[in-house]
Order: sequence, then C-alpha cells, then structure tokens
Amino acid sequence: MNISPSEAEEALAAIQKMTRRTRHTISSSGAYIFLIYTGMIWLVGFLANQFLPGSQAVYVWAAVSLLGSALSISAGLRVSKHVQGPLTGMYGRRIGLFWVLLALFCIGVIAVAQPIDGKQFTLIIILFVLVGQAAMSLVFSFSYGWWTLPIGALALAGYFLMPAYFYLWMAVLVGGPMILLGLIIHWKW
Amino acid sequence: MAELNEIIHQSVRLRIMAALTTLDTDNEVDFTALRDLLEVTDGNLGAHLHKLEEAGYIAVTKTFVERKPRTFVSATSAGRRAFRAHVAALEEIIKK
Repeated sequence: MNISPSEAEEALAAIQKMTRRTRHTISSSGAYIFLIYTGMIWLVGFLANQFLPGSQAVYVWAAVSLLGSALSISAGLRVSKHVQGPLTGMYGRRIGLFWVLLALFCIGVIAVAQPIDGKQFTLIIILFVLVGQAAMSLVFSFSYGWWTLPIGALALAGYFLMPAYFYLWMAVLVGGPMILLGLIIHWKW
Repeated sequence: MAELNEIIHQSVRLRIMAALTTLDTDNEVDFTALRDLLEVTDGNLGAHLHKLEEAGYIAVTKTFVERKPRTFVSATSAGRRAFRAHVAALEEIIKK
C-alpha cells in the first residue's frame, strides 16, 4: 500500500483531531471537570473563610459543597454512562466504602490531634481528600490524580509559609490553579 | 520499517482506532457515544466495527444495562499494536 506524504499528513491530522475530541468528550481523562468544580468550591469557600465571619463562612461552605457534589455526581454519571472499565462496576461499592472509611479515619485523626485552630483543621481534611484522590488515581489511571502532589505541596507551603493569609492562599493559589489546570487540560491537552 | 495497515487506513476505521486507543487500556465505550463522536450512521459504524473485529483489532461486548441492551467497544492489545505501527508508518512517509 502506497500513499503520498500529503495523504499521510492528512491521516495523522485526522488521528490527532480524533484523539483530542475523544479526550474532551468521553475519556476518563475528562477528570478536568472535577478539577474545575473542586477549584471553584475551594476558591469561593476559602475566600469566605478569609473575609467573612466564621458563622457566615460555614453557610457559604455548605452551599458550595452541596452544589459541587451535585455537579460532580452528574458529571461522573455522564462519563461512566458512556465509558466503562473492568473496575467500574466491580469496585463501585468498594470505592464508596473507601471514601466513607477515609472520612471516618479523618475524623479519628482530628479527634486525636485536636487541631488548635481552623487552619490546622482545614489542612487535615484537605490532605485526607488529596490522599483519597491519589488512591483513586492508582485504581483507575495515573492521569487522573497526578495533580494531587503539586496541589498538596501548595497547600502545605501556604500553611507553613503564610499562616496569616492561609485561607486567601488556599483560594487564590490552590483553588485558582485547579480551575486553570482544568481549563488547560480541557482546551490544550 | 513499519508498514501501512490497509484495514486501519480507511478514514472511518482510522478514526475509530484513534478514539479507542485514546481510552485507558481495558476501558470500553458504548456504541452510541462512539457513533456521536465519529458523526456516522449506525449502519456505517456497525460495518466498520465488524471489519475491525474480524481483524482482531477491537472487541465488541453486548450486555444489558438497566434491562436495556447496550453494546460496548474496546481496542484489543493487537489493535493497539497495529494502530501504533500504522501511525509510525505514516510518520516515516512524512519524514522521507
């Protein structure tokens, strides 16, 4: 079979276009949407922590968390409806149980460590969430959870280097990059 | 030197393989999502999938989801290898 270089170029362009389209629409790498949702929740929630009284910030967190959970569940269902892996159905319940156990262990750690302030309390929860995301990446795909490492490092840097502006740091330098990263993956990857 | 694969080179089959090999190994996509992605008709997609399945490049699984029949498609290891070799052959032609 012989084809000209221009035909070969056309074929490669078609492959590239299809690969990008698949990633955007149905691939499990569509995790970008979860990054954007989580980034938005953290951005709004931590800005509320920084600038609003504690009692009002709690309501903001409750509202954005509920909205974010609903959006994430809807996005997850949309992706899993079209793409399934050998682990999807088999381990669905175990994954749910894993997150419940992780939450219980997180509560245990908080009870033992007795965080001295809201910042410590927040960071412990965030680290547990990132551990959970990293574990999911090992189960499903490495491309799904690599972002947990730089985001975890940024959160720890904010806690130790800028304690007075920790919440603002979390909103702008952790929530913001998550949204940005999600958008970059969506448009450029 | 890699050689062009006549089965894969046909434009719809080329795009099918590109889409399926983009998914993680062992992941499968349902027929309707693949049809919408490729913007082809059911019959057209079915015919090309049959050709690829005969060559051992894809696996087709028919199952029931919530009591409705669903067809899922995935690239086999042989299919992934053949697609990689085909892409390498295309790249070699351009480099010449």
